[in-house]
Amino acid sequence: MRITLAFALVTLFVSCQNENQEPPISDFSVFEVPAHFPDPVYDFDGNPITEEGFELGRKLFYDKRLSRGSQVSCGSCHAQVHAFADHGVPLSVGVDGREGRRNSPGLYNLAWTEAFMWDGGINHIEVMPIAPITDSVEMDISLADLLDYLQSETEYPQEFETAFGSTEITTTKLLNALAQFQGSIVSDGSRYDQYLKGQYIPTEEQMRGMELFDVNCSGCHAGVLQTDFSYRNNGLDADFSDLGRGRITQNPADNGKFRVPSLRNVALTNPYMHDGRFFTLEQVLDHYSEGITASATLDPALADGIPLTEEEKEDIIEFLYTLSDFELLRDLRFSEPTK
Amino acid sequence: MTIKTIKLAAMAIAIAFLSSCNDDDDNTDSNPAPEAKGNMFIKFQHVWGPAQEDFALNTALVHPGTGEELQFTKLRYYISNIQLQNANGDTWIEDDSYYIVDTENGVAGEVQLNLSDVPSGSYTSISYMIGVDSLRNVSGVQEGALDPAENMFWSWNTGYIFIKAEGQSDASANGAFTYHLGGFEGPYKANSSMFHNFQGATLEISPNDNPSVHLIVNPARFWHGGYSTEQTPMVHMPGEMASILASNFAGSFSFDHIHN
Repeated sequence: MRITLAFALVTLFVSCQNENQEPPISDFSVFEVPAHFPDPVYDFDGNPITEEGFELGRKLFYDKRLSRGSQVSCGSCHAQVHAFADHGVPLSVGVDGREGRRNSPGLYNLAWTEAFMWDGGINHIEVMPIAPITDSVEMDISLADLLDYLQSETEYPQEFETAFGSTEITTTKLLNALAQFQGSIVSDGSRYDQYLKGQYIPTEEQMRGMELFDVNCSGCHAGVLQTDFSYRNNGLDADFSDLGRGRITQNPADNGKFRVPSLRNVALTNPYMHDGRFFTLEQVLDHYSEGITASATLDPALADGIPLTEEEKEDIIEFLYTLSDFELLRDLRFSEPTK
Repeated sequence: MTIKTIKLAAMAIAIAFLSSCNDDDDNTDSNPAPEAKGNMFIKFQHVWGPAQEDFALNTALVHPGTGEELQFTKLRYYISNIQLQNANGDTWIEDDSYYIVDTENGVAGEVQLNLSDVPSGSYTSISYMIGVDSLRNVSGVQEGALDPAENMFWSWNTGYIFIKAEGQSDASANGAFTYHLGGFEGPYKANSSMFHNFQGATLEISPNDNPSVHLIVNPARFWHGGYSTEQTPMVHMPGEMASILASNFAGSFSFDHIHN
């Protein structure tokens, strides 16, 4: 009788699972919301992270086969050693040596990001990779061609099946895998984080820099994420060769405005500004202090610049160094997989 | 524990599992027998100008208003959120209702959409959207007709291209016209909510029939109101022109007849 009962239960379980196309539930955990962070905007409930999905996303991120002629990968211009920004170049280089239009940003805390790109034109982390994949100066391959190519490769159909339940490679599976990987990259291991948690005592210079930063910079580079996610013209040019936010909204009042970037890892992600025109933090602070250019859409808070003495600039830079997250740079979960 | 109690326990557990299995199933005892459903078509007959001349891709056309000589190489658009209303005022709303009408697939200018699982009944009007509702433009990756691989999606400025119309025109400076029309937010929306009363006719849905709603679409209407390919050869993003041209196009959709 006991055997019959056990058999009946097993049969019922199996019939339940047959109707259920979900991948197997695992206890894999790579994404955690730091206690001192707000709630993320991306809800992984619609794209549950599994070890297989995350690892597939990681492999895709570092795979040059995602570009025409297998020339560049996502990781080519988003290098872990630079907090997933490019290797110190103003504009990144895509297929056939083609130069991009704007500076590649670092990739971290994307699960807290509502709009992507310097102009905020992309509204969701899942569809974000379509832009670099299909752009003619980046990876330059159509989604349809890419899906066909991945389907024809020996290992990918099996890996997609392991992660998502069937060997058919679709846009949704491709982008969900990339979202599982990229959305999991959290930067919360800087000395600034340790300070917020009471685990690090800043130096005198850093402390003075933090106070100056709070007064002069935190209006835009606000809160624990170091950005208020707004779009502002920070006085780079009088005329705009790149309309920035205005290209998206079609509103002339937004011309010359760009997204306020997070300053987390800022010392690791030079050069700076949407076009990478400043190579050093000193140049950036000189700009805010003495180099603001007036224009119709200049942010009112910058009308008179942010006058700083040389010593104040040095102190602020000492504080900015505490925003570097060296744990992120050596976190093997996000590294290029060994072949 | 007696054999009997073991049997009862087994049955109780089995029922618990069965009912948990059946959460998504329509055929539980608490529901009535499944309602009868049927198949239907929506047929989009594309015509040209007030005279309703034949419309086809890669065919020379003369615009009746501007006199421009042009030909279409592509005309694709989204139809979504299809609903049917009956005389009692009840509305059937199709789930996950997204289609691409592609004139490349047309026969004699006619493209048909096949709707299955429509509840049986007599319907007196139809409503739908030309374009895609705002929610699906902001919810990440989508499937089916909304798969970004369909090339009806802007990668750099997230949103669906509701209408793609491309072709050649002698009057255009570069010899071409390229309209990628979309926009789901802000002042310049390009999705249009449509409603057609069947004008006394009824669409009769039943399990054994394949009735159809015949609509007329007139792409000459893009250039209604003084617009031309000479003046406007290219629209590649949301904005005022996209909204105007999409609205013009939507104004060309009309109900023709029901075929039961």
